[in-house]
Amino acid sequence: MQIRKNASKFTVFLFILLFLCGCWDQKEVEELAYVIAVGIDKAEDHENRVKISYLIANPEAGSTAEGGGSQEPPREIISFEADDFISSKNLANTVITKHVTYDLLRMIIVSEDFARDENFIRWIYDATKSMEIRRDIRLLVSKEDTATFLQNNKPVLETRPHEYFEKILDIGNEIGTTPPSELNTFFRITEADADLFLGIYGTTEKGEKKESDGDPDEITAGEFKYEGETNTTQFVGSAVFKEGKMIDTLTIEETRLSYLLNPTLKPGFFLGTFPDPFDDKYRIVTRIEANGPLKFDMKLNGGNKPSIHVKIPLLLEVMSNHSMTDYPKDAKKRKKLKESLKEDITRKFEDFVKKTQEEYKTEPFGWSLIARKQFGTIKAWENFDWMKTYPGMKIEVSVQLKLGKFGRQSDLPRLEEVRD
Amino acid sequence: MEQSKQLIGIKEYIAIVILMIGTKLSDDTPAILFEQIKNAGWMAPIINGIIAIIPIYLLMKVVGNYKDKSLAEVTDHLFGKFFGFIILFTLLVVAFCATIVDTAIYTDIIGTMYFTKTPTIIIYGILIVVCAYGARRGFEQIGSAAWTVFPYLQVSLLLALILSIREGNTAFLFPLFGPGPWEIAKESSLRLSIYADFFYLFLFFPLIKSKKDFIKGTWLGLVFIVLNIAIFMTCFVFLFDYKTIMQLSYPYHEVIRTISMGFLTNMETFFLPFWLIASFVRFSIYLYINALLIGHLFRIRHFEYLIPSLATLIVFLGLIPESPTFTIFNLKEKILLIATPLFFFLPVLMWVVAMFKGEFKHANKKKRK
Amino acid sequence: MLKKLLRRSYRNKKVNSEKSSEEEIKLNESNINSNLNKTVDSFKTIYSYPDNQDVVLRNIHISGSNKKAAILFINTITNAKSIEDYVISPLLQNQDSSKQIDEIITVQSLQTKNKISEIVTHINNGNAALFVEGENKAYLLGATNFEGRNVEKAENENVVKGSKEAFNEKSATNISLIRKRIKSESLVVESLIISKRSKNDLFIVYEKDLVNDKLLQNVKDRVNALDVDAIQNLSLLEQQIEERKYSIFPTILYTERPDRAASFIEDGYIVLLMDNSPDSLVLPATFWSFYHTSEDHYLRFPYGNFTRFLRILALFISLFTSSLYVAVVTFHAEMVPPDLLLAIAATREKVPFPAAIEVFIMEIAFELIREAGLRVPSPIGPTIGIVGALILGQAAVQANIVSPIVVIIVALGGLSSFAIGDISMNFTVRIGRLLLLFAASFMGLYGITALFTMAIFYMVSIKSFGVPYLSPLTPNYKSSKDTIFRRVLQKETFRPGYLKPKDMTKR
Repeated sequence: MQIRKNASKFTVFLFILLFLCGCWDQKEVEELAYVIAVGIDKAEDHENRVKISYLIANPEAGSTAEGGGSQEPPREIISFEADDFISSKNLANTVITKHVTYDLLRMIIVSEDFARDENFIRWIYDATKSMEIRRDIRLLVSKEDTATFLQNNKPVLETRPHEYFEKILDIGNEIGTTPPSELNTFFRITEADADLFLGIYGTTEKGEKKESDGDPDEITAGEFKYEGETNTTQFVGSAVFKEGKMIDTLTIEETRLSYLLNPTLKPGFFLGTFPDPFDDKYRIVTRIEANGPLKFDMKLNGGNKPSIHVKIPLLLEVMSNHSMTDYPKDAKKRKKLKESLKEDITRKFEDFVKKTQEEYKTEPFGWSLIARKQFGTIKAWENFDWMKTYPGMKIEVSVQLKLGKFGRQSDLPRLEEVRD
Repeated sequence: MEQSKQLIGIKEYIAIVILMIGTKLSDDTPAILFEQIKNAGWMAPIINGIIAIIPIYLLMKVVGNYKDKSLAEVTDHLFGKFFGFIILFTLLVVAFCATIVDTAIYTDIIGTMYFTKTPTIIIYGILIVVCAYGARRGFEQIGSAAWTVFPYLQVSLLLALILSIREGNTAFLFPLFGPGPWEIAKESSLRLSIYADFFYLFLFFPLIKSKKDFIKGTWLGLVFIVLNIAIFMTCFVFLFDYKTIMQLSYPYHEVIRTISMGFLTNMETFFLPFWLIASFVRFSIYLYINALLIGHLFRIRHFEYLIPSLATLIVFLGLIPESPTFTIFNLKEKILLIATPLFFFLPVLMWVVAMFKGEFKHANKKKRK
Repeated sequence: MLKKLLRRSYRNKKVNSEKSSEEEIKLNESNINSNLNKTVDSFKTIYSYPDNQDVVLRNIHISGSNKKAAILFINTITNAKSIEDYVISPLLQNQDSSKQIDEIITVQSLQTKNKISEIVTHINNGNAALFVEGENKAYLLGATNFEGRNVEKAENENVVKGSKEAFNEKSATNISLIRKRIKSESLVVESLIISKRSKNDLFIVYEKDLVNDKLLQNVKDRVNALDVDAIQNLSLLEQQIEERKYSIFPTILYTERPDRAASFIEDGYIVLLMDNSPDSLVLPATFWSFYHTSEDHYLRFPYGNFTRFLRILALFISLFTSSLYVAVVTFHAEMVPPDLLLAIAATREKVPFPAAIEVFIMEIAFELIREAGLRVPSPIGPTIGIVGALILGQAAVQANIVSPIVVIIVALGGLSSFAIGDISMNFTVRIGRLLLLFAASFMGLYGITALFTMAIFYMVSIKSFGVPYLSPLTPNYKSSKDTIFRRVLQKETFRPGYLKPKDMTKR
């Protein structure tokens, strides 16, 4: 009985104790300011400081629930200088009324200027320290200041910012205009010190369009011309990071190529155009998707020059036929088309690989992971030094093209007959 | 109806074994292995598992020789009162230190990964109160509770596994031999004591329904644990690559932070309860083992009453280290290194002594009679 | 403090119970006298005749043997008509002096007793006592007629498919309902008197070639050890014989369905019946017996398991929704998908209370509506439901006292709790839900998990009459594995092994 009495007293005591404390990690959802995107820029004068911009979502915007819902704008943007983007949470509270939280953080945006800086990597590694920042958020490079970028970005339909970013990045991923660019991958590639990392490249400023009559996909952020009542922001192509520092940008086409050359990514399908082998005036619209995994044949350890042979199986569907060539009936024409496409595509791959070898000195395709299989120990692999060896490698790309459907209606009327 | 005789069946026993040792995959044990063996860290549990067969087998021979005698009684019997006391006392010290260190680690995991602002003592307190409550209920109850929750814990683990394999990349496993085969063998066998808990399982020998159940359960448990830990460590490599994984203190928790399922992008709090339950059960067993050993050493019959005070002691000792993530990590590694020879050579020693004393023949004769 | 008070009041009660005059005891112990007048006088004092309104004492003259006689009975519990027809008139009309009394009387059952205490018991049970001049024994004439209901439909344990009968307050009827289902000579109905003053009867029903003798002895011992004045019915008896009186988990099953009781008996359980209780107690009970209903087995295999699935889902929903909501919203906001999180944040913007308090308010309101709905006179019952559920919820949301999501959460949890049919388990779930809510508001998921683990440890340590609470799940016993889900009937061939029945197989 005595024990039970003591036990019950103890329980009561415990309960009171719990009542008195037990609120440390408690935070009410409505008392938080949800940062959707953090922008990091170089501070203007200080070497050791950065300029932080916050894009904060307003939960009440667009809510139709009873009790919620108001006419407030959907977002709030604030930029200021701070030591880093962890302590900046507190600084922001001089203006923002609620606790800043990174719970819903979807992106870290870095200005190109800052990304090309030597010190960039120091700041970005702060993200691994803070518990709230998840490793699967995206990294975005903006051509201009991040503060300008965020302010100019005014989505018309998806006004709620988290929705906007989620949607536009997903679609970019799917059609291959932007790379996946997860922060997790950024850290991994930087640490492994072998490959290039591709970050999303975006801008809100319209640049000058390069005058090239060729491929409309050969553009990067700011070069896409469009009109109408819509947002000025575009996410086009990728930013290339080498050893945690940005070195270049890639166009949409190059981004797509690197998707196709990357064994770890599962690309969706891309629409692209190629010159028509039967009439130079026109271009054929095609839908390309990977047709099975890439096949590698690497000879790295032999005495000779290391070589890599990549086989890329592709499935290609022809979606347009402006030259009105008679493909269904004529096997020869189909063969010619295939040959010409294959040549085009192979040339593109080869050019791009050559570019990586010569300009970047390493590749963004994650090939080093495949190469690792050739080595028994980490030591051997590190001695091999992928980054040093890659530019000198002999790399062959061969495309295995399979022609798919020719659109919904495969046959077209003879042009001559129509005009007759 | 016969009131509880404190005997447990094979299912409960396996659940206890797996929760007690298999849970290690979710704390910093993988980190300790990865630190030296890098991306080949997943081989260590397998290599150790194979090595661990020797001491476990010998111990089984020795302890299985006597009916209804636990490891403690057998030790006393083989080495005499004095040496028996010293050996068991060493075992107790190791177990006690391991309990303190491990509870401190788990508290640190909860504190750094989930409840960053809550004072350590509260987290620690709740952890220990629950475990002490569980241990106080008795061995049979721990077994039952373990078996009740076991399937769900395995399902949650499996889910984590599937999700992380889907997001991982098998190429990270290469170069296959990491720092080199010799290095792997050396470094992993030095950390054999990740399976030292098996040694303590022999304390429960008379509490299992039959000898056959015990033997079968122990072997099945070993296989299961080796597979569990090895597969999960492979998975960690899949997801993070060796450079990153060497920097992670608690890989399992990073994994569950990283994976996502459909519209649920943040899954870690979904896995947290399952992991917590496993930890609660695990430390209940640890507490019980400690109490059991103390009870045997100092001739305390109702050793269950010791558990609350033991638990309090653990909390206060566990709170001492500063910045636990590092201190305790090092401490644990040291304990592992110290415990390894103990775990390996003690069973051998016991077997040899039993051999010389002619205990096996003795038993055979008895059987024949 | 409270406990002390309670204990004190217990003690006081005990003192009162000792108060029964020695004279009375002496009288009760003695045999009856052959002198009719003396006998009648002593019974008059025992029954405080004529103050006692319904005690009838009729003096008659048996014309055949020319003897004086007296009949004593309590007319509210005795069938006066049958006494009139089968006892009084034959006695009066008899002219044959050679006939014995028992030859004259044509009533169904007839016993003779000579100890006063025994006679009194019989009279209290509705029998009539006939005293004859010059005989030192009493004839006890069976004419019991307690008032009560007929067999009606089950009120609490409704089924769509299956028998609709329910126990009523007459134990004889109840036993008959069970016997109707188990037509076997091995079905034993033992009767025991379990209280000192009111002399309540308890019937222990079991199959003698199934039930484990130790278990039976255990039950009998526990019942015999009772030392109380009165136990009105089984609900009170349940509290007298259960092991853990403070536990929130029930350990004795209480069912009003004879078919359920019968099927338990057939598995080797023991069923207790009592007068005045429209139900039966089944013991020992495991967690599963509270979770199951009889309909699970009446429905076909897939349907039965579907309802089982719904029920386990409902169990978890009602236990965890509100606490999970509080935990997630106040401690683990990052877990919620962004759209939902922002929606929650938006609706909570104008609510003045913290989420935990908000949920508490709604939970208490829900429990109040429920309790009030139970107590209000039935004609206005539905009104309360409508007022409570619709208007209160709607108005609370409009007034920004609670957010709409909380109304959904609480209503879902509350509604789900109705899926657990057993009233005791229902309370367990409701109290458990509040406890979990407390834990959640202090430590989030950590608190919930800690409490849940403790509850598991507690549950596995409960024993009902020596049977572990979660068996056959753990500890494992040979059984039909009828736990969360049931199996096809043809495969359910074993009786539950934890009962250690004399015959394990069902075929």
